[in-house]
Amino acid sequence: MLPGPTKIGVLQSAPEGFLSAEDIQSLKSGRRGFLRASLLAAGAAITAPVVAIDGAAEAEGDPAILELPPWTRSAGQGVAARPYGAPSIHEASKVRRDLPGMSSYAGNSVSFTPLQNLFGIITPAGLHYERHHQGWHDIDPARHRLMINGSAPGMLKAPRVYTLADLLRLPSVSRIHFLECGGNTGMEWAGATMPTVQYTHGMLSCSEFTGVPLRVLLEASGVDFRKARYVLAEGADGASLTRTIPMELVESDEVFVAYGQNGEMLRPENGYPLRLVVPGVQGVSWVKWLRRIEVGDQPYATREETLHYVDLMPDGKLRQYSSVQECKSVITAPSGGQKLLETGFYNITGLAWSGRGKVERVDVSVDGGKNWNTARLESPVLDKALTRFNFDWIWDGKPAVLQSRAIDSTGYVQPGISELRAVRGTQSIYHNNAIQSWQVQASGEVKNVQLG
Amino acid sequence: MSSWARCLLAIALLVFTAAAGAEMYPGVGREATPAEVAAWDIDVRADFLGLPAGSGSVSAGAELFAAQCASCHGSAGEAKGGAIMAPLIGGITQADIENGQVQALLATPPVPRTVFMKLAKLSSLFDYIQRAMPWTTPKTLQPDEVYASMAYLLYLAGIVPDDFVLSNQTMPEVQALLPNRNGMSTDHGLWPGASAADGGFGNGGVPDVQATACMHDCAAQVAP
Repeated sequence: MLPGPTKIGVLQSAPEGFLSAEDIQSLKSGRRGFLRASLLAAGAAITAPVVAIDGAAEAEGDPAILELPPWTRSAGQGVAARPYGAPSIHEASKVRRDLPGMSSYAGNSVSFTPLQNLFGIITPAGLHYERHHQGWHDIDPARHRLMINGSAPGMLKAPRVYTLADLLRLPSVSRIHFLECGGNTGMEWAGATMPTVQYTHGMLSCSEFTGVPLRVLLEASGVDFRKARYVLAEGADGASLTRTIPMELVESDEVFVAYGQNGEMLRPENGYPLRLVVPGVQGVSWVKWLRRIEVGDQPYATREETLHYVDLMPDGKLRQYSSVQECKSVITAPSGGQKLLETGFYNITGLAWSGRGKVERVDVSVDGGKNWNTARLESPVLDKALTRFNFDWIWDGKPAVLQSRAIDSTGYVQPGISELRAVRGTQSIYHNNAIQSWQVQASGEVKNVQLG
Repeated sequence: MSSWARCLLAIALLVFTAAAGAEMYPGVGREATPAEVAAWDIDVRADFLGLPAGSGSVSAGAELFAAQCASCHGSAGEAKGGAIMAPLIGGITQADIENGQVQALLATPPVPRTVFMKLAKLSSLFDYIQRAMPWTTPKTLQPDEVYASMAYLLYLAGIVPDDFVLSNQTMPEVQALLPNRNGMSTDHGLWPGASAADGGFGNGGVPDVQATACMHDCAAQVAP
């Protein structure tokens, strides 16, 4: 609720695709000073805001109202002109983006979700972030199989094979969960690095997934749950990526074998036709193109559990089997690269989530963490799902630092970056769930900064 | 109901549930054949369960590496793949091999982390090369070729001599030489399964970072 009549502020969305060849070179060489120069260059290239009204027309009214546009004076296109459908051509800049220079192999890289452009909590399937370990394929579902086997005789009664048609006949669940790469925000451990929220937090998505609880499939294979305490999930891609999952998550009925995403079949980039859903756990365990589940009495120490997805601690030890994504939040607008064009009323909006449960509360600070006020949580608020928060703010034109801080249903409070570093140092790469700070400068430009 | 009757009922329910599992959806799915399981069950565990018999020498590995690996990894494993593809070789010392923990992981400023700086289980390397390498033709290497490529890498890393032959027999002795074999920790709260006390990992989910939610006049932070 606003205190009274208020001028409405206008937000210029982040300049898109602004990484120049020099920026890419700078990134490759490990220097981080590139963002300031690139943002200045991109800002200068953008024309005046669209809200300006032509002076002569202003007296009579808005030409957008007075002069009827073509779409009001002509016949439109027919049904099924585009059988699948596509976003408006005016939304063409709202796309997944990769980070040039991050990898020489696009099949072993990341593309980021444009969080700054999204509403609510669901990520459109076409904007779901990608992390592939050996590229993606568009698998023929008729030739895809899911095998359930044991590491040794006695782990289950008999190994089984399912076709997609088999799985579609079994009882299904549909649940909304977030999916976050363990390396999300990883570039920020050592300092404020990436220019926009797409790059700082965009290895994050949330979808409704549909599929068969893994417990149903394991019971049908006669798994001996007293012996088999670990699950190995394996993909059908070239990497045949593998990860160990604790049987406790299967027994609690949280883990399921999904074929559906947001009402349609999974997209190829997201594991078509089958992927594992492991709510609250980092994305690498949600094995895509799932072809095999093995149950066993030991963890598997796979490559993604010994060489990658291990967190280097200050004592020189690598944390292994670190899986849970702890409570985290981020303001998606106003955010890095955007610009506040006027003083006045703004809606601060963002996302919060926790791998341990529901989001209980989100607080927002506009003074760099000295004072906090509780934001509105928009429904739905779901277990291990993104939760949207909003907060009314009137910008007076003075520099400000915007932050959000989430608290989950276990009482865990999202830490500041200095609190996180005090325990984990700066070399961990993974599991950075620190409070994000966006600095609003007097010019209205928003920059990624770190405090303390 | 008396406690023994409740107990009997619970046992009866358990037996019923287990029996019903396979019969609940007859005709949905089928038993896998031994050949099918053998074709897909390629994982090699840390205790070497699943390791195929075979062997390969350093010299055979050098030849294979030059032909199939060096275009991405560099002729000496130095990597050419950008930030995500780590170099294979470098950063380890004789003392690391003796102690089983790589000191370069503590270097200031940090140094790039090579595969052999991190590798704690030799099985991980075999398992990964067998399932995912070479990049454009994964799963084409025979077990002897996997052993050979590993023997060459272990030689480049200074862990085995140039006449070494790696095999399913010699894997355990090389495991005992891995420079970072003692460098892993599972003492944390990020494992969502049973705790170490209950046969799993870590502390059962207790967070290592404890923050508080101050609302007003909070400790001043350093300005950016």
